[in-house]
Amino acid sequence: MQLQIHHRGTRGARILAAAAVITAGAIALSGCSGGTAKTTASAPLTIGISLSLTGDFSDSGKAAERGYELWASITNKAGGVLGHKVELTIVDDASNPDQVVTNYTSLITQKKVNLVFGPYSSLLTVPASRVASRYNYAFIEPAGGGPSVFSQKLKNLFFVQPAPTTKGGDVFANYILSLPASQRPKTAAYAKLDDPFSAPIAASIQKRFEAAGIKTVYDQTYPAETSDMTPIMSGVAAAKPDVVVGGSQEADAFAQIKAMIQLKFNPKWLFESNGANSPGDFPAAVGRANTEGVFSSADWYADSTIAGSSKFIADYTAKYGGNAQAIDPTSAEAYSAGMLLDAVAKKTGKVDNATIIKTLHSGTWPTLVGNLSWDQYGAPQGAYLLIQWINGKLTTVYPAKTAQHSPVAPKPHWAG
Amino acid sequence: MHALVQAIILGILTGGVYALMASGQTLIFGIMKVVNLAQGALVVLGAYMTYTLFTQLGIDPFLSILITTPLLFLVGIAVQWALLRPLRGDDLAELSILVTFALALGIEGVLSFVYGATLTNVQPSYANFSWTVFGYQVSLVRFVAFILSLVMLALLYLILQRTKFGRSVRATVQNPMSAQLLGVNANRVSAIGFGLGSATAAAAGSVFGMLNSFNPGSHYDLISRLLTIVVLGGLGSIGGSVVAALVMGVASSVVSALASPIWSDFTFFIVLLLVLLIRPRGLFGARTRGAL
Amino acid sequence: MKGGITRAGLIRAGVFFVVLIVIPLVGGPGWLLNMLIFTIMYAALASGWNLLGGYAGYPSLGHVAFFGIGAYAIAIPFSGSVGGGFLPFLVLPLVGIGAALVSIPVGWISMRTRSDVFAIVTITLLFITQTLAFNLKGLTGGAQGKSVAPAPFDVGTYDWPFYYAMLVLLAVAMGISFYFRRSKIGLSLATVRADEDKAHGVGVRVTAVKLIAFAVSAGIVAMGGGIWAYYVGFIYPQFAVDPLITIGMVLMAFLGGRGTIWGPVLGAFILVPAQEYFAQAFGASELYLLAYAAVFLVIMLFLPRGILPSISERIRRRRANVAAEESTVAR
Repeated sequence: MQLQIHHRGTRGARILAAAAVITAGAIALSGCSGGTAKTTASAPLTIGISLSLTGDFSDSGKAAERGYELWASITNKAGGVLGHKVELTIVDDASNPDQVVTNYTSLITQKKVNLVFGPYSSLLTVPASRVASRYNYAFIEPAGGGPSVFSQKLKNLFFVQPAPTTKGGDVFANYILSLPASQRPKTAAYAKLDDPFSAPIAASIQKRFEAAGIKTVYDQTYPAETSDMTPIMSGVAAAKPDVVVGGSQEADAFAQIKAMIQLKFNPKWLFESNGANSPGDFPAAVGRANTEGVFSSADWYADSTIAGSSKFIADYTAKYGGNAQAIDPTSAEAYSAGMLLDAVAKKTGKVDNATIIKTLHSGTWPTLVGNLSWDQYGAPQGAYLLIQWINGKLTTVYPAKTAQHSPVAPKPHWAG
Repeated sequence: MHALVQAIILGILTGGVYALMASGQTLIFGIMKVVNLAQGALVVLGAYMTYTLFTQLGIDPFLSILITTPLLFLVGIAVQWALLRPLRGDDLAELSILVTFALALGIEGVLSFVYGATLTNVQPSYANFSWTVFGYQVSLVRFVAFILSLVMLALLYLILQRTKFGRSVRATVQNPMSAQLLGVNANRVSAIGFGLGSATAAAAGSVFGMLNSFNPGSHYDLISRLLTIVVLGGLGSIGGSVVAALVMGVASSVVSALASPIWSDFTFFIVLLLVLLIRPRGLFGARTRGAL
Repeated sequence: MKGGITRAGLIRAGVFFVVLIVIPLVGGPGWLLNMLIFTIMYAALASGWNLLGGYAGYPSLGHVAFFGIGAYAIAIPFSGSVGGGFLPFLVLPLVGIGAALVSIPVGWISMRTRSDVFAIVTITLLFITQTLAFNLKGLTGGAQGKSVAPAPFDVGTYDWPFYYAMLVLLAVAMGISFYFRRSKIGLSLATVRADEDKAHGVGVRVTAVKLIAFAVSAGIVAMGGGIWAYYVGFIYPQFAVDPLITIGMVLMAFLGGRGTIWGPVLGAFILVPAQEYFAQAFGASELYLLAYAAVFLVIMLFLPRGILPSISERIRRRRANVAAEESTVAR
């Protein structure tokens, strides 16, 4: 076949070839940039973090950012970590897993940061932790506690919360099962949000309740976009359970409770895994009077009595303003990640990835979210706090050792 | 049985609100042959406007409709004039879909910037109030929303049937070229049509904000439902979209109650596919030349 | 623009692919390979979409459904182990063919409608697939997501297999694109795109040709999804079947020029790095979605036919003017 030559084509091809050569040159040059990853005496300690500053997780991502930056500034005021000033490199992943892989790859291989902290949410933690593991970076992360994170069996990962997220409701089961048999609920209903954490929290409680003889009279899982909880809560109300367990996030927890108020259904115990642990949003969503007696669980909240909490609140409000009740626990968790770094440095005199990984795997480490210790795959071995709304305030009610008040039961009636 | 009837009641009430949103969408399509992928985003925008008016100025959400509707009417006209009128060519259909999607993204971006991503809702004091009618729960907000939707749909009907503008619209929907030959100003009709479509979104948005938790990303779910409704009803037929909305509302509510909520959205799509298999132009769709 | 293989075309393709092949070998850093993997993926996806949306004139807004199907098709069997690491790549063509076959009944139902309604029906298919991914928990892991066993590749060259796999996929997509244009299929598709009823009247095998375009494009997109799943290592329903991926594909094809071979590729190579840039530059102030939308609108309003057709249009016009002048002068 005759090959035809088009003038346009030749010109186009030449332009393209030139562009290609330039691009290749630029690539080769950029590949040569970047320094080493070692910290010399006065070099800063660079920590790379990918956070969801935009997108679905942006509110929590920004709360984490505040926590990290607060820790960095407090630590630097005290002289830094082992004499090195802490420098945070924070990039936005737009709540997108593809972007988070790109970000950590870039932070580790291009910006060559010394250390990394984790992003927000298990969704993003899973792909991010793989990247970190590949390059043998320690992965201290405050917000990825779902089962998918630990089933990866990574040895470099540490989840900065008292227990894996799915165990968030176990403390409620502990409380209920600690009651004498005559005072326990006989029947239970479960309304579970279909996401990696919420449904498992309720399911974990359900397993223990059923084993103890508490009958399941209603069990329903609903998708994340469900805006109207009335059909489900009608089913719950019709089954007349003694205790209602909601495996929920914020919006649907609020919707569940509003539906129950509308249906005028008041169980003797009501536990919501999320939503009811938000000191500002919960009363705003359902009305202050309706919060009374609702249980939830948390690792940190403004009135927590854990050591270091009041100093943290003071520093936070000094830097960011606002009041203590508005502080998102994610900030405390992020701050605690930094605290772990300080602790390892103090104990071992070193702060490189291998040391961190080795050191954190033994012993107990105090943070704002409790004393933490982990198993070999990064799952923390503690338990959350059981909190309840009493007189318009969140109060720790179980276990008795750390309780500020004994649990209130049965739950008072809705105010309407 | 009780659960079934309760579900049907809920479905009808919800369907009414969807009917309002969908009517605007199908009107826009009928006039301009444009699939407005931003309809969901406009509803969310309306919801946020209501939220701001409520939390900052204490205006009751139902009353705020009087403010948001004219505002979004003007916004709709502006959008049509700036973004849709300049489009030319045989790819008008595809381009307009993409342009309206860009608009939806833009609205989402602005709302994210201003309000953040937390789920919010509009909570007037009567939000949790409900009546018990023959043993069935009827929520106040849902009921008033339903009545409101009927009123607005009736208004829309009156506009289309009794005004000169309405006649122009109907002529344009039936046969754009003849309408133009008879002196109908296509640009004006399109602009006002888009304005009306956006206005219905505003009204529905106020109500939506009270019934659901929403954030800037909620428009995806909304638009997927709206699209199935308008296609089911027949693109361009307002009556069709009302019927389809009610059908979809009841079907998904019943599936939610009887089977499981995780399949309730699915019903929307399955019903749509089944209908399209038998009647590719939807229940009440007109047979038009070429496409459809 | 039609016609046979031109020397210029071969040079273009040659330079393009040689540069891309060579980049990892000369030491392209991890972050660059990472970005290129996504860029090449989108180029392949956009090219695949183009077969249906550009050549056949059926703009599918739900093609990401096949992306998700491909992703899960790789994730589910390889959840536990990936053998030597290359097994998923070997299985990939099967995934592509399987997806193509599955798409045939889907295509047949949906292509009973036209243009606007077709777009809506494909959006519906997208949401159906997403719902199935969420609800068929036993198979897909539901909202908990599905993991793919980590590849046992060497850290230094970890990205290479994925990179080259994507490159091969792009070459295949472009090759098929090229074949379609040269062959009777391409001609048939062009007539279908112009006026389907007339094409039918003239005797073109409309249904067969449409279904071929649908199935092939579905297969390509599915294979892209499969490689992606293996690379990212963990997939969730809302990200494997994400409307923004479809819009990305469509936008890139539109930007570069639908109905051309290089158009979607050009579109991808412009938009993916640009999106990276936007996310980093504007990310923190939440304006990046807005910037994305603005780019979108600019393209729609000012370059509705895409870059390549607009350029070739301008060149053709200029040459016509020159020719007209010359003919007036030459008298």
